[in-house]
Amino acid sequence: MLKMQNIRKSYRTDTIETHALRDFSLEVNEGEFVSVTGPSGSGKTTFLNIAGLLETPTGGQYLLDNEDIGNLNDRDRSRLRNEKIGFIFQGFNLIPDLNLFDNVDVPLRYRGFNGKERKKRIEKALEQVGLAARAKHLPAQLSGGQQQRVAIARALAGEPRFLLADEPTGNLDSLMARQVMELLEFINEWGTTIIMVTHDPDLARRAHRNIQIVDGQVADLQQGAAERAQTATA
Amino acid sequence: MFGYYISLALRSLRGTPILSALMVAAIAVGVGASMTTLTLNYMMSRNALADKDDVLYALQLDSWDPHEARNNPSEMPWQITYKDATSLLRSDIPTHQVAMHRWGGPVNRDDSEMRPYTAEARVTSRDFFTLFDVPFTYGGTWSSEADNNPVYQIVLSQETNEKLFNGENSVGRTVNFNGTPFRVVGVIEHWQPSPKVHDLNNGDFLESAEVFIPFGLHRSLEIYPWGNTNGWLTEDIDSYEGYLGSEYVWVQYWVQLDSKEQLERYRDYLTGFIREQKQQGRFPRPLKFGLSKPSEWLVLNEVVDDDARMLNWLSLSFLLVCLVNAVALLLAKFLRKAPEAGVRRALGASRKAVFSQHLVESGCIGLAGGLAGILLTMAGLTLIRHLAMGYMDRVASMDWLMMLSAIGLAILSSLLAGLYPAWRISRTNPSIYLKTQ
Repeated sequence: MLKMQNIRKSYRTDTIETHALRDFSLEVNEGEFVSVTGPSGSGKTTFLNIAGLLETPTGGQYLLDNEDIGNLNDRDRSRLRNEKIGFIFQGFNLIPDLNLFDNVDVPLRYRGFNGKERKKRIEKALEQVGLAARAKHLPAQLSGGQQQRVAIARALAGEPRFLLADEPTGNLDSLMARQVMELLEFINEWGTTIIMVTHDPDLARRAHRNIQIVDGQVADLQQGAAERAQTATA
Repeated sequence: MFGYYISLALRSLRGTPILSALMVAAIAVGVGASMTTLTLNYMMSRNALADKDDVLYALQLDSWDPHEARNNPSEMPWQITYKDATSLLRSDIPTHQVAMHRWGGPVNRDDSEMRPYTAEARVTSRDFFTLFDVPFTYGGTWSSEADNNPVYQIVLSQETNEKLFNGENSVGRTVNFNGTPFRVVGVIEHWQPSPKVHDLNNGDFLESAEVFIPFGLHRSLEIYPWGNTNGWLTEDIDSYEGYLGSEYVWVQYWVQLDSKEQLERYRDYLTGFIREQKQQGRFPRPLKFGLSKPSEWLVLNEVVDDDARMLNWLSLSFLLVCLVNAVALLLAKFLRKAPEAGVRRALGASRKAVFSQHLVESGCIGLAGGLAGILLTMAGLTLIRHLAMGYMDRVASMDWLMMLSAIGLAILSSLLAGLYPAWRISRTNPSIYLKTQ
């Protein structure tokens, strides 16, 4: 589903060239839940931005559903991002002056759905995260965990095949973090592929597979904790 | 998506009321200043005779001083002598022709308690109404013999008929004008061309005549014109007849020539006429005459002068300054919203979509600025009317076209002002804001 081969990404200033990713190769299959860990500055977010088509690599090849991203212009990349990819951010990134309904509506607007279809999807997505009753509330009126659930609803509303989560529980207390994680696992069970960047080793272990990024390269591939536990039990 | 962008724009404007008000004010002040001068120029340069621009001609004859040309752009007197006017009226080449000048006097009714009041009059040959397409409500013009003989017939303006007869059909009734009873033969509809292209010698923007009387009445009433009378020759004039035969110019002359052939024939006729006059010792300057279309006549008479044009450019420059301010304010406002644009990009908005969204917001600011600009323009024009003490009443006012132009100018200005800020925000890297928001 997602295939990166020898991806390079460097940032250049007047005096310094920084290599965020170097010969980065990775393959993620449909339905997988992959966690990405690594020290700060190792290139995790850069990887996520490239995977989410927010940045273009300096070199290498990136295939998403067998489509070579390098050949796409901004319009096509935006369309692909809108149709296939959902984002969940550490800081939630809800638009503060839009209520929950309108926040979830944002990606659907760019998809070009009619009003009836959008309403159906928004209500369904908010129901999935347990916030249907608060559709007219503004983000500021919600707790952090609730805001993250709205962000998940927004990501889900377009029914993406691919969910990219950047530290989704980083700003939440442990109870809320657990709830959000359970929600992500539930979404994954329904078939959505998830790549989650996290610093939390417990959360990383709950994924099917863990990837470690060190100095812009994939350092190690592990089976997820759940899978290992399953093997041990057997 | 346009509706969505509009709703986002309104929400955004409500979210930053002070900044939005500043931007609207910047556009409104620029539009208000420029539309005030543009409206004045537009109203001043209107051609009330545009429909007949190809067939009407204002006539000039160079009968002036042999040593010095008349001091105006045409270098000919604007008006002609009475004796030339009466001679030219005999030509059968023009389809219609008008010799006329301004006059005036007290007007009232014998059978009414109404006190006399001074009315502006036009002493004119009968073709005036046909040549200038002046429509009649009642009756019509006087008989053709009235152009050469004393016939006491009068045509009233709608406003005069309203004052004297309460707007009733007054044809056949009698009014006293300058102490002489006149029989009403016609009442015209409201007719106030502005600028007064048919008579640019007596206040380009003042009101048109209130009564019209025949050109054949000069000798019987000893009419001395109101308005400009110019001369270059020192003449001993000791009688009214001497005045009529003098080289003083005080008659305005227009002809209607419907075809090129007619125009050529009339040119030949005028050439012959001047040569004839030269043989009699008149027209000492080189042979020259002028036939100007109404549009040319307005330019020649400098109805819109260089100062007005300069003012136009100055006000447009001021609008430019306001636009530069609006650009800076828009840039500040849009860049403040860069994190939101980053989120939208992550959720599937293309650069074009982000650009369009912000350009629509600029357009909304322009629309609000345009509406406020109209109010400022109206205030500016009111001030000008007040300062001009009536002289600019019909010029310093906005019609629908100018109101729409104000809104159009404001939207266009704001779109231009919004181009760069919208482009900047559409080019920002969303990933920067997604991590740091």
